[in-house]
Amino acid sequence: MISVGKSVNSQQSIVNIKKYFPLLPVYGIYLLLFLIGIIYPEMWSVVTLLAFYCALGQAFNIFLGMTGYVDFGYVAFLGLGAYGMALGIDVSHQTGLNIGIIFIGIILGLLMATLLSLVVGAVALRLRGAYFAIATIGVNEGFRYLIEGAKLWGGSEGLIYFRQLNEAMGREKTNVIVTFWADVFVLVIAAISAFITLYYMRSKIGYALTALREDEDAAKVMGINVTKYKILAFITSASMAGMLGATSWGLKYTHVFPADVFEIHYTVEGIVIILLGGAGTLLGPAAGGLLYGLSKYWLGAMFPGIQLLIFAPIILIIIVAFPEGIVGTMKKKIKGTVLERYIA
Amino acid sequence: MLLQQLSGNLTQGLILGAIYGMATMGLNLIFGVMKIVNVGHGAFIMLGTFVSFAIFTYLGLTPIVAIPLAFIVGFALGSLFFYFIIGKLTNAPELNSLLATFAIGMLIEEVTKFIFGSEWRGFTWDVGRVTLPFTVLPITKIYAFIISILVVIALYLWLRMTRSGTALRAVVEDKEGARVCGINVDRMYALSFSIGIGLTVMSGVILTFFISVGLNPYMGGAYTLRAFVIAVLGGLGSPLGAFFGGVIFGLVENGSYTLLSLIPGIEPFSLTRFVTFFILLIILLVRPTGLLGVK
Amino acid sequence: MALLKLENVTKRFGGLVAVDKMSLEIKEGEFIGIVGPNGSGKTTLYNVISGVYFPENGSIIFEGSDITKLPPYRRAHLGIGRTFQIPRPFSSATVRENVAVGAMFGRLSVNVEESLETADYYIGLVGLKAHRDKISGALTPTEKKLIEIARALAMKPKLLLLDEVMAGMHPESIEKMIRLLKEVSEEEKIAIVSMVEHIMRAVIGFAKRVIVMYRGAKLVDAPAQEALNDPRVIEVYLGKGIRDA
Ligand SMILES: Nc1ncnc2c1ncn2[C@@H]1O[C@H](COP(=O)(O)OP(=O)(O)O)[C@@H](O)[C@H]1O
Ligand SMILES: [Mg+2]
Repeated sequence: MISVGKSVNSQQSIVNIKKYFPLLPVYGIYLLLFLIGIIYPEMWSVVTLLAFYCALGQAFNIFLGMTGYVDFGYVAFLGLGAYGMALGIDVSHQTGLNIGIIFIGIILGLLMATLLSLVVGAVALRLRGAYFAIATIGVNEGFRYLIEGAKLWGGSEGLIYFRQLNEAMGREKTNVIVTFWADVFVLVIAAISAFITLYYMRSKIGYALTALREDEDAAKVMGINVTKYKILAFITSASMAGMLGATSWGLKYTHVFPADVFEIHYTVEGIVIILLGGAGTLLGPAAGGLLYGLSKYWLGAMFPGIQLLIFAPIILIIIVAFPEGIVGTMKKKIKGTVLERYIA
Repeated sequence: MLLQQLSGNLTQGLILGAIYGMATMGLNLIFGVMKIVNVGHGAFIMLGTFVSFAIFTYLGLTPIVAIPLAFIVGFALGSLFFYFIIGKLTNAPELNSLLATFAIGMLIEEVTKFIFGSEWRGFTWDVGRVTLPFTVLPITKIYAFIISILVVIALYLWLRMTRSGTALRAVVEDKEGARVCGINVDRMYALSFSIGIGLTVMSGVILTFFISVGLNPYMGGAYTLRAFVIAVLGGLGSPLGAFFGGVIFGLVENGSYTLLSLIPGIEPFSLTRFVTFFILLIILLVRPTGLLGVK
Repeated sequence: MALLKLENVTKRFGGLVAVDKMSLEIKEGEFIGIVGPNGSGKTTLYNVISGVYFPENGSIIFEGSDITKLPPYRRAHLGIGRTFQIPRPFSSATVRENVAVGAMFGRLSVNVEESLETADYYIGLVGLKAHRDKISGALTPTEKKLIEIARALAMKPKLLLLDEVMAGMHPESIEKMIRLLKEVSEEEKIAIVSMVEHIMRAVIGFAKRVIVMYRGAKLVDAPAQEALNDPRVIEVYLGKGIRDA
């Protein structure tokens, strides 16, 4: 009896490892990006651009892709994350914590974004479709104008804290951190988001999210507590965004301006990336982030000033011709082949 | 003194509100019929302001001429975008249609920038002014007010009195029912999108009667956001509700600006915008179907 | 004790009374047919029982506890399962995933692996084995109805509400479906309420008890044969028959 139980168990753990095979291509992409940046230092700035877009897509996808709810105010979570880093550094730079203050910043950014997502989630997630989209725009804009109007956290002048970083860690360390480690963190956040995505997909959570994305009322009747799962996805996605904002903006630029970090354009970029790669898939945001980042970089270099003029029709063609994105389309093609095990 | 300033501002607010309302009717018409939110809405308002600008500056004609012209331009563009893009997305998830309308807006902005450049533009169209006890009103603003109201009445009559208007209302009420009754729903989609865009571009012209400076390819974003607030205020999907929502919005915006200016140590302009978004959220929470309940 | 008890339940849409002071008792494992002309409030009754709509008046008692205010997912956990008149499978998911969702979140709330096994069992039962790994959105309307039945059964309900699952099926398929439902009902002690239109013969075939709804109210509630011979029922149906022709 006991040995039978054991064999079942070990078999299950093998199955469990197999469940995580689809992470291989995603982590492959991130590792490759990192290596390219290390080997060719002149490529580092491109790598950081791509890393940011991959991370943005990967984090946003946990909510937008998996639930189908369009959060136009998503950038607010990145913005708050950036403020979290700014405030964290500001309050702790004289404590002698040295590079520890960066982790205080990241955690504060994470907490602030999570807190906002709890509040927004509790109220706005009761709305559906267009109403939700509009409400989230309202939250984002409202936040920005509250900061500017009430002169909160430096108001429209923002916060600048390069000096505080220098004081806490010295010039040398500060330089390495803002030009190198901030970007490495971004890749790490992308990787964490990817892991969470797959974990959700393979558990009950993923089934619940698919069901509510397709038909919320039917999902309820099937016994799914849709509110719980929506809020879970929302908070997860927002906390990743908080960390992303803290590192890729707050830490990297050493300043925060409300007009920059609440710019709705970033939300739209995130949506484009997810749609391009395949909403609700694991590999999609990475593929979409690469493709979007590269074409943006390339169009900007080739057609300075008119890159958006070229880009707009491209988005439209993609929406009409490939509404399921690269990975969505690919997944259909490889159904029943060995590759299926590696793509999710 | 404050009372005088307040009534002056409220008069301005009323006029601006009528324009805002008129400028939101297209958004609501499209949403009411197709359940698609036009995220590129503001770009079409911007397009209208440039039609007005071009007519006045390059052709030397009165911007009144630009009103029908802008409607025709908008209607044609609306049909074009519907035929090639929006019409193919009527059954797609929200995500696709939202992004598509955003990209369409972006296209309009970039084409405008390509033609006119990205610097701020403006023109002065002066046909005199009227002095009221508490404020002075340029006659162009009065034109804007009257024309906005005429457009609302025209839309109302079209929706109530004509066959196509009635068919459109039927689609808003119950799409499947309308289909069963032999209404060509897809044609109604195309019609509502084209008319919606036509109205929106036209509203841009009327906006220049109120403020004819500060025109820029990227000026639309702020109007998109305002239109969302107004649309929700009046009830998403109700074109006439949008008008009254606009009037209320204009009054609130002007009134709160006047009051917030009295508080020291803050930025009244930004805080006014905060107030409007705060109102939006409260309405969405309390009565997402709109405050006014106009059908 | 009755499995389900409705007391004076009323549901309005604006001025329209879709369900009118409905009282009803369903016993464990019972098999009930429900008929009534279009618009008589049958689907609305299902919606009220499953929690899609909340009634304005009256109360709903399930296994002795008041569930009138309970959200739909909690009712599913208690053992109320249903299908939809127009099938609503989660269309981007496969047939297997769809049915697994029922098992995963239904009355027993089991883990993913077990749910997939349960799904396979019910997919076999309703005869969709060949379509197991297909995207459900791509199937025919009849197949979608089968997915819904399998998904609802996988929830292990104590009460199953079927909304016109047999409409549009071939007569042979209907026979088969009735046999299948009878078997599961007996085996798993599920009370089944099945709504049928036009096919009166089918009603007699499976239901011991027939409820006839008319204008939101219960017109007749009697043993099958008796109900079908009731002059009021004949009147309602003849009237409808003439209008339909
Ligand atoms: N969501 C709803 N909103 C408004 N009226 C509804 C709604 N659902 C059903 N009705 C109305 O309630 C009545 C009963 O409908 P229904 O329960 O679908 O009847 P049946 O299933 O017996 O054909 C009909 O007049 C229908 O139009
Ligand atoms: Mg029905």
